[in-house]
Amino acid sequence: MIRFNNVTKNYSGGFLALKQVSFELAAGEMAFLTGHSGAGKSTLLKLISLMEKPTSGSIQINGTELASIKYKQIPFVRRGIGMIFQNHNLLMDRTVFDNVALPLVIEGYSHKEICKKVEAALDKVHLRNKMKCFPYMLSGGEQQRVGIARAIVNKPPILLADEPTGNLDPKLSLDIIRLFEDFNAIGVAVLIATHDLGLIARMKYRTLTLKQGTMITDGIVQGLQTSEPTYD
Amino acid sequence: MTNESLAKSKKPSLFRRILALPIRHLQQAIGSLGDLWRTPFTSVMTIVVLGISLTLPATLHLFVKNAQSVTEQWDSASEITLFVKLSVNDKAAQNLVQRIGLYPEVEKVTYISATQALEEFKVLSGFGQALEYLDKNPLPATILVTPTKRASQVLAARELLVKLEQEREVEQGKLDLEWLTRLEAMAQLIEDIVLSVALLLCLSVVLIIGNTIRLAILNQKDAIAVMKLVGATDSFIQRPFLYSGVWYGVFGGIFASLAVFILAEYLSGAMNQLTTLYSSSFELQGLTFSELSLLILLAVLLGLSGSYMSVRRHIKAIEPTAD
Repeated sequence: MIRFNNVTKNYSGGFLALKQVSFELAAGEMAFLTGHSGAGKSTLLKLISLMEKPTSGSIQINGTELASIKYKQIPFVRRGIGMIFQNHNLLMDRTVFDNVALPLVIEGYSHKEICKKVEAALDKVHLRNKMKCFPYMLSGGEQQRVGIARAIVNKPPILLADEPTGNLDPKLSLDIIRLFEDFNAIGVAVLIATHDLGLIARMKYRTLTLKQGTMITDGIVQGLQTSEPTYD
Repeated sequence: MTNESLAKSKKPSLFRRILALPIRHLQQAIGSLGDLWRTPFTSVMTIVVLGISLTLPATLHLFVKNAQSVTEQWDSASEITLFVKLSVNDKAAQNLVQRIGLYPEVEKVTYISATQALEEFKVLSGFGQALEYLDKNPLPATILVTPTKRASQVLAARELLVKLEQEREVEQGKLDLEWLTRLEAMAQLIEDIVLSVALLLCLSVVLIIGNTIRLAILNQKDAIAVMKLVGATDSFIQRPFLYSGVWYGVFGGIFASLAVFILAEYLSGAMNQLTTLYSSSFELQGLTFSELSLLILLAVLLGLSGSYMSVRRHIKAIEPTAD
């Protein structure tokens, strides 16, 4: 689903953000991506979502080699990736329904299908009763869930989440991660970038750790020490 | 499997998408109308500027059109004026009129006797009473000769004039072709000025619309970035802006049509006063239905090209960022 092969990203100005990074995320796999800020997490996500181009190396998304992608084809690749952001990236002047419906409208679904799929997606994140609300009427956690509903509404094979629990309290964070687990259970590949190490430690998922642009660990993190209390 | 076929495999069928396309266009057209409605001040300003910019050339066109219809009238009625020698008496002059009437090139002859001429002069000049102190009528009798259509062409009319001047009762003949050619040249000049002014104004309309749409795009920058992130193509994103341009054109065109109509109404009053002074019948022609539709169509085209220019430049430049 996602395959990085010796990917290096060198920003203009000489800053080396990623060094020879290689990894593969198979279909239906779930993994965390972690590292200190500045370690290259954001760069890696930007490369996957085609906001940046690698300096060298190759990236494959859903079987497509990104180097061969032309400007006009970028939207079609992005439709295969559900993206979730820390700042939600919702359209504030549109209702929750319209926000979630956006990917479907773009792909040209009929109104009936859009209604059906949006309702199903909002059902999954338990926000069906907030369909007619505007994003500013919702709490941070609810806005995040709207973002998740939008990311999954057209059933992309990959879910990409950038600090999805960044602004949320531990209880809500866990709820969000449980949601991702649900999607993962139905075969969606999930990659979650986070620096919430406590969360990772308790989840026992494969974890990719970046340090100064290099992938230093790739595997299940065991016995990670955390000073944070448990939240249950 | 390429990205596009991958995308298509999950999508509704091609047929259904094509079927949905006009509906989507309609939705986006109405949606962009709603966007204009939500920013009434900007929209009205743009529409008024557009309307005024189009009113000017349209009004000038109206003038040129009317001037042409007037000069055409004059052209077909080119007259030859013959002044009869003062020594010739009324009876001899009448005789001359009859002879001229028999010319094959002549359509109509009108005789204005010296007394009639004086009466008319009294009325029109405003000297009135003062003229009564003259002991002798200084005006000659005049014969107005209207040539037939064929003889009213420049060369034929000249020949006819020469022929008429050879009549022994005639003092002098006048065929005023000079002023006609001058008038035509003047009309041509005005037409050229109108055309170049119109071109400049159309260019400014394109730029105004382009700038308005540019501001609208920059206002929506975040929303555009989000749409790009969830896989919207540029053509999907730019469509509402193109429709805004079309709407600006429609409303600006309607505004211009109304403005021209009102101006024509207002000016025709003053015009009528002027033409009655010249004792000619003249009716100001307004814009015809097809001219009005052409005006609105032009406005729409200008609006569309302005927004297209802007959309091409700016939508591609907006790229989503992760932060």
